[in-house]
Amino acid sequence: MRPLDPRLAALRQAAVWATLLAAWEMAGRAHLLNPLYMPSPSQVVAALGQLFGSGRIWPHLEATFVAALGGLAIGILVGILLGVAAALVPFVAELLEPVMTLLNAIPRVVLAPLFVIWMGVGLASKVALSFMLVAVLIFFTVFGGIRQVDRRLVERILTLGGTRWSLVRHVYLPSVAAWMLGSLKVAVGFAFTGAVVGEFVAASRGLGYLMSFAQSTFNCALMFAVIFLILAVVLAIFAAAGSLEKRLLRWS
Amino acid sequence: MRAVIGLQQPLAGSVEAERPRSDIGILFQDDALLPWKTARDNVALGLTFRGLPRRQALAEADLWLERLGLAGLGGCFPRHLSGGQRKRVALAQVLALTPKLLLMDEPFASLDAIVRARIIHDVAQLVERDRITVLLVTHDLEEAISLSDKVYLLSQGPRARILQEYQVPIPRPRDPVRARTHPAFALLYHRLWSDLSQEVDRGPWAEAAA
Repeated sequence: MRPLDPRLAALRQAAVWATLLAAWEMAGRAHLLNPLYMPSPSQVVAALGQLFGSGRIWPHLEATFVAALGGLAIGILVGILLGVAAALVPFVAELLEPVMTLLNAIPRVVLAPLFVIWMGVGLASKVALSFMLVAVLIFFTVFGGIRQVDRRLVERILTLGGTRWSLVRHVYLPSVAAWMLGSLKVAVGFAFTGAVVGEFVAASRGLGYLMSFAQSTFNCALMFAVIFLILAVVLAIFAAAGSLEKRLLRWS
Repeated sequence: MRAVIGLQQPLAGSVEAERPRSDIGILFQDDALLPWKTARDNVALGLTFRGLPRRQALAEADLWLERLGLAGLGGCFPRHLSGGQRKRVALAQVLALTPKLLLMDEPFASLDAIVRARIIHDVAQLVERDRITVLLVTHDLEEAISLSDKVYLLSQGPRARILQEYQVPIPRPRDPVRARTHPAFALLYHRLWSDLSQEVDRGPWAEAAA
């Protein structure tokens, strides 16, 4: 068989997707699909257009973004602090590791209803859920990472006359940054999961709320529209995280 | 070596040095450069630990990289350098601190023959020029004789001890490659080889070593 031209890969993929979409659209127009369950692509696009055209989408997008990015930021910060503390102070590790292992083992989204009761239907309960998902992930990344730091690098710094502070600055921090960036994409996904699930459980705004609203009104077109929107948002943030990773890890 | 530089406490006995710890440099078998720092930054590191301002440390680092034949490669990250080049960066890193005693633990073992011969040549020159005392651990008899003034033969470990001391009568300044053709070289090589073989045959691990 003749090898495929790699330059045309995107074109071939686009062609397949376009064909599938076209088939879906035609099946919809031929009344082969029940629009109540399976809206056609044009109906989904119309729903998206309506969301953006009326400006109705902005407060929802804003709510989800604020909750996800807030949870992400606080989760990364707390995850790093706890991870570093546990890696450097054995007593802290003894205390934290079982708790974190437990939190890691359960699907943390089950905490969503509890957070709603504790913190209300507002932003705080969503940030808290995002935070829980992210912080545990980052904790294990940092904690495991520091304990696996290359001993030879540590000895190198010491024999060159470095102090404990030089170790932190030149070995531990860059190592932590590298591991952190490595799990940044997963963390972004987690943060949005937390925010959307939180809104799904109870909220008055947000993409999750919009999903729950679409579900209760049997509005499948709106539901597809929101799903695609979440997809687009997370992909965009993935791309940003990817380019950040590439820039900061250009040594690797 | 780890005891001499202070990375490890000796199990027994003590390490006595006439000079402060900061006068001792060590080159390990693996180069262990910081992967997230460029060659120049890696070399400058020890200098900034000594309190040199960063700009000055970087200028000094460039000078040492040039001396070790790496002019123009200061901006490269270790991953983008060859094994021999990384070894030269590690050497520059240590030599930039102008040690009076340089410890080398099989520093060239991982390099292929030609790269190794060239690095050894350059190191020998720098060490002779700056009058640095070198304590070199090696399994390679040719390397030991061509580089050293004194060779100590160690017994098999653990708890290795000095079995023999040999003077190397090849005059200095010395080119380590040419030194191998000096008449004294073959004689000493022969003696060392037979003493070493005897020690290996005698030891409880004769089988494994053979």
